[in-house]
Amino acid sequence: MSFPLFARTLAWQRARWIIVGLATFGWGVLIPVIYSAFSDAMRELATSGVIPEELLSFGSGSFFSLPGAVTLGTQHPMAIAMLGVFAVGATATAIAGERQRGTLEVMLSRPLTRRGAYLTVLAALLLVVAAVLAALLVGFVVGAAMQGILDDLPVEHLPMTFLNGFLLWGAFTTFGMAASVSFDRPGPAIGLSLAYLLVNYFFEILGSLWRDVEWTQEYSLFHHFQPAEILQGALDPLDLVITGIAFVVPIAYALLVFPRRDLAAPT
Amino acid sequence: MEATPTPIISTRGLTKHYGRIVALEDLTLEVRPGEIFGFLGPNGAGKSTMIRTLLGFLHPTRGVGRVLDMDVVEQSVEIRRRTGYLPGGIALYDSMTGEQVLDYLARLQGRVARRRVRLAERLQMPSSDLRRKVRDYSRGMRQKLGIIQALQHDPELAILDEPSEGLDPLMQQAFYGVLADLREEGRTVFFSSHVLPEVERVCDRVGIIRHGRLMAVHDVRELLARRRRKVSIRWRGAAPEPGTIPGLEDVTVDGDRLFGTLHGDVSEFVRAVASPSLEDLTIEPASLEEAFLEYYADDVAEPVA
Repeated sequence: MSFPLFARTLAWQRARWIIVGLATFGWGVLIPVIYSAFSDAMRELATSGVIPEELLSFGSGSFFSLPGAVTLGTQHPMAIAMLGVFAVGATATAIAGERQRGTLEVMLSRPLTRRGAYLTVLAALLLVVAAVLAALLVGFVVGAAMQGILDDLPVEHLPMTFLNGFLLWGAFTTFGMAASVSFDRPGPAIGLSLAYLLVNYFFEILGSLWRDVEWTQEYSLFHHFQPAEILQGALDPLDLVITGIAFVVPIAYALLVFPRRDLAAPT
Repeated sequence: MEATPTPIISTRGLTKHYGRIVALEDLTLEVRPGEIFGFLGPNGAGKSTMIRTLLGFLHPTRGVGRVLDMDVVEQSVEIRRRTGYLPGGIALYDSMTGEQVLDYLARLQGRVARRRVRLAERLQMPSSDLRRKVRDYSRGMRQKLGIIQALQHDPELAILDEPSEGLDPLMQQAFYGVLADLREEGRTVFFSSHVLPEVERVCDRVGIIRHGRLMAVHDVRELLARRRRKVSIRWRGAAPEPGTIPGLEDVTVDGDRLFGTLHGDVSEFVRAVASPSLEDLTIEPASLEEAFLEYYADDVAEPVA
């Protein structure tokens, strides 16, 4: 680990970190507000049969309970986009972008091992992802408190929710970094990481909206992060194992591949 | 008997292939402590590949490389700790100021930037320039900043890839002054270039690379001493018989002026032509470029084993 590199990675695009962090917090605050305002109406719509029930349980979440709304909030495209900015955008460009700009060789001409450089950048980006995820969860708590429904949100299960969420988004982060060390240009790294995220998301949403292909959800990492279940004290340990494996495997790959790569002169 | 000092850079059979493309082939070379070694070759000859292999960016296909008596594959980190490197066409962090870039890279290096002030003075980079964002720098200023970052921590060995690229003639002179300082302090410099007059001016020895093969290694002074010079002489009255002037070849006479090519010892030649009737004598200064063109005119020179 190199502290100067760690600090530099955190400082890199710090304005974007802060803006997205605040936006994520705002989104978190909004979810309990929406839940308070519309849960009864949603329930009526569901019982009336006007809207298919599947549409009201988007991505395994629902507006029929606050924990369900929290799941909806974490799996909504808005949350995916905000967390994806870092887990895909920043990570995929972290190494490949420096490589394309030519600054990677200036950095690696210092006494840093490639593994050390990789782990340092990864640690900094994981910290940012953790901070944004924490902002989202804190937003849920603040929003619930503002609406006077904090009792509906079992905060004692929030640390475990955070852990599972961190493993999920950490898995996308480590995948993005693995792609980043594998390519000389950020384009392919971003493309591959984005495809990985979208395929996972597609499988989860498809299965939640179309019961005949519900099995696709098992193949989605998003399905292994269910805040509603965790908040109700029903965490499936297998979810932690699966997201944990998805977190660790790209790290092992990157640690193996990056030091062996030839870094020819940037073109 | 005095022991031969350990070379600062030594390679034996160093080879780098990219699939079927041969970037370096069987390159054997030694750079001695305290010398300025020029690594000369046209673009694409393998200069940067050699440098990148020495610094551990590329893994050799075959052969052995040692820098500061350490293996380039196994001890690359320690090599980089004691080396300063200027990449060819250096890219720096555009959003930082020059000063921030230097501070950041010095922190990464883990060594005090004790040479920075002196280098900045030499290369005319005042604090006002260093406080500007790199994105506002001209190409020459970026290159100067690149040179400073490579040398600011006072490395034992400087590896510079085309260091004078982008510098105006005045700054090139200043840079040569920096190299002279390093030589005086016993530092070793390995630098690549395709500019022959530059190599001629600053290097002690020069290696010529072509198509990934080391074609020759020469002492620059010896090379200059043994290559031909153009001569023009004018006498009042009758000129001496050209055959009587030692070392003079390809003689042509145009009126009272004699032109020719001088080979060998200059002092012998001057003694022979010196006479009261000698009116004018011009010996064109040594040009390494001509020496190399002469040396490689047929493009069939055998690579150095």
